[in-house]
Order: sequence, then C-alpha cells, then structure tokens
Amino acid sequence: MIIRVVMLAALIAIGYLGFVRRNRLPFHIFLVFAILAVAAVAVVFPAKTDIVAAWVGVGRGVDLIGYLVQVSLLFISLHYYTKFVDMQRQITQLVRELAILRAEMEVPPELPRGADEP
Amino acid sequence: MLVDRTRQKTWVVIAAYNEAAVVRGVVSDVVAEGWSVVVVDDGSTDETAANARVPGGVVLKHSINLGQGAALQTGIEFAMRRGAEAIVTFDADGQHLVSDIPTLIGALERADVVLGSRGLGRVVGASAARRVFLRLAALVSNLMSGMSLTDAHCGLRAFRASMMPKLRMQQERMAHASELLSLIQKSRARVVEVPVEVRYTAYSKQKGQSGLQAIRILFDQLFRT
Repeated sequence: MIIRVVMLAALIAIGYLGFVRRNRLPFHIFLVFAILAVAAVAVVFPAKTDIVAAWVGVGRGVDLIGYLVQVSLLFISLHYYTKFVDMQRQITQLVRELAILRAEMEVPPELPRGADEP
Repeated sequence: MLVDRTRQKTWVVIAAYNEAAVVRGVVSDVVAEGWSVVVVDDGSTDETAANARVPGGVVLKHSINLGQGAALQTGIEFAMRRGAEAIVTFDADGQHLVSDIPTLIGALERADVVLGSRGLGRVVGASAARRVFLRLAALVSNLMSGMSLTDAHCGLRAFRASMMPKLRMQQERMAHASELLSLIQKSRARVVEVPVEVRYTAYSKQKGQSGLQAIRILFDQLFRT
C-alpha cells in the first residue's frame, strides 16, 4: 500500500533529522528513536495497535493514536507558547538595557542636570 | 524656568509610538513646568525620537516596538537610576493636561500611588459610546483587580519612587495597565484617585485604543502571566 511507504519514508526522514541534529542528550535521542520504532511497527502491522488499545480501554487502535496525537500537540503548543513568552521577556530586557545604556552614554548620570544638552 | 527641587526629582515618563506630530508640544509643555522628563520612543517608524528631543528632556529609544507597558517600564527604570523621588506616567498624544501633574504630586503626600480618574474628572470630546465603554472597562477592571476605582486605565498616574521595585510591569502591551493595578493591590500601597481632565481630540481618538482591542488586552492579561 502506498500509504505505508509514505508513512515509513516520513518516519525515516524524522529519524534522519533527529540523528543529524544530535545536539541533545543521548536519552532524548534514544527516546525519539524508540517512538519512531513503535510508530513503524504500527504502520507495518496496524492491527497490533488494536491490542494495545484494548489494554488501555480504547475501542480501536486508530482512536488511541488519535488521542495520543491530540494530547501531544496540546503539550507541544503550550511548551512553545511558554518559551515564546519567556523569549519576548528576554528581548524586552535587552532592548530596555540598550535604550538606557545609549542614553547614559550621551548623558552620564553623574553630570548635574542642565549639562544634558550637547 | 522654575527651579523647583520637587519638580526636578519628579520624573515624568512618556511612552511614545509614532507620535511625531504631537510629541514635541507635549514634551515642551512638561519641561517648561520644570519637571524632569524621559520620553521612551518605542521603536517608532516616524520622527518621534528626533521631535521628542527638547532641551532639558531625555529621549530613550527602543530598537524595536515592544508596546506601551514595556516602554513605560524602561522610562521608569531610567528615572530610578537618575535618583527619581516620584514617577509620573503621562500619555504622549496630548490628552492629558500638564496642569494636572501638581494635583497628582500633591496627593502623593498622603498616598503611595495616585491615579488620575476620568470618572471623577472631566472627559472632553468623547462620544456617548466611549463614556459607556470607559464605565464598563472600570467595572470589569474592578472585578479583576479587587479594587474599587472610578477609572480603569487612565494613563496619568503618580507614584512614590519607593513603590517602583514592587510595581515592575512585565506585560509589554496594553495589559500593563491592569497588571499595574494588580501589583498595586498586592503591594498594599495607599491609593487615591484624583480627578483629571482628559481631552479626546481627533488625533488622540485616531491613535488611541479601539473598544475591540479590549479583547486583546483581556487575552494578554489572562494568558501571558
């Protein structure tokens, strides 16, 4: 089936990217490859997912995967949103320091008032 | 020019974004009364920074646009480094009166924070819809901050410098006004409201906040904490 080829190719691509960018902890890399391996098994033997689904109390394997995807996406969005807000705060702090420093280079704070015009 | 020590130690912080047309007049008026002035040009794309340079005033420049909250906080931190004893926030669009500043500073003698109130004072040039909106905003704001004020977000305020470390605003955009009220509430500062006059001109209305932006403000307030 074409879909299997497409899915496996996508998993291999993700694995390759994960392997190329090995700037993480070995544990993270191991985790990524473990997830990819499980996904590959699910692609090749879709019926096996029904067994796992039955263990955890979900009707079909497809549904179980759907739920997992939803929860992961929500987690990922929250994670990056938090990072985004933190980064915005850091940028604000940098721009603020820069603005104050530039003004203090023009007018050093020690100088008395009235001396602030060039 | 008046050489008044209180006025020298009182820093008027003006956040300006693309206000080239009016900022010089506003800064000149404040400087002329002897107050110390710091204008924070919030990454304007026009000539705001150049036009704000008035002898006796200081201009800080944000390299990029961060928002009014961030700009005010920058001005406040600069003023604190200059040994400010009181901080006044003042809008750049000319809607406030310089003559209201002494009223605010006077009220600081019996309070830590003085908030200008359009509800107690006069609002000139606002439509009926805007007046209703201002009342509603004050109501929502009171519910969220637990304070009872007659105005939610008037840009004219005065603070004792000693309060500022407790009132560090993190909200970059317009939600800073609500954030500030929560910080004031938490700090247990003594707060008074004084009537101030606000003049809505064609210019300030076009530049100012539309009612719809209230939704964005609410979002920032709820989720960017």
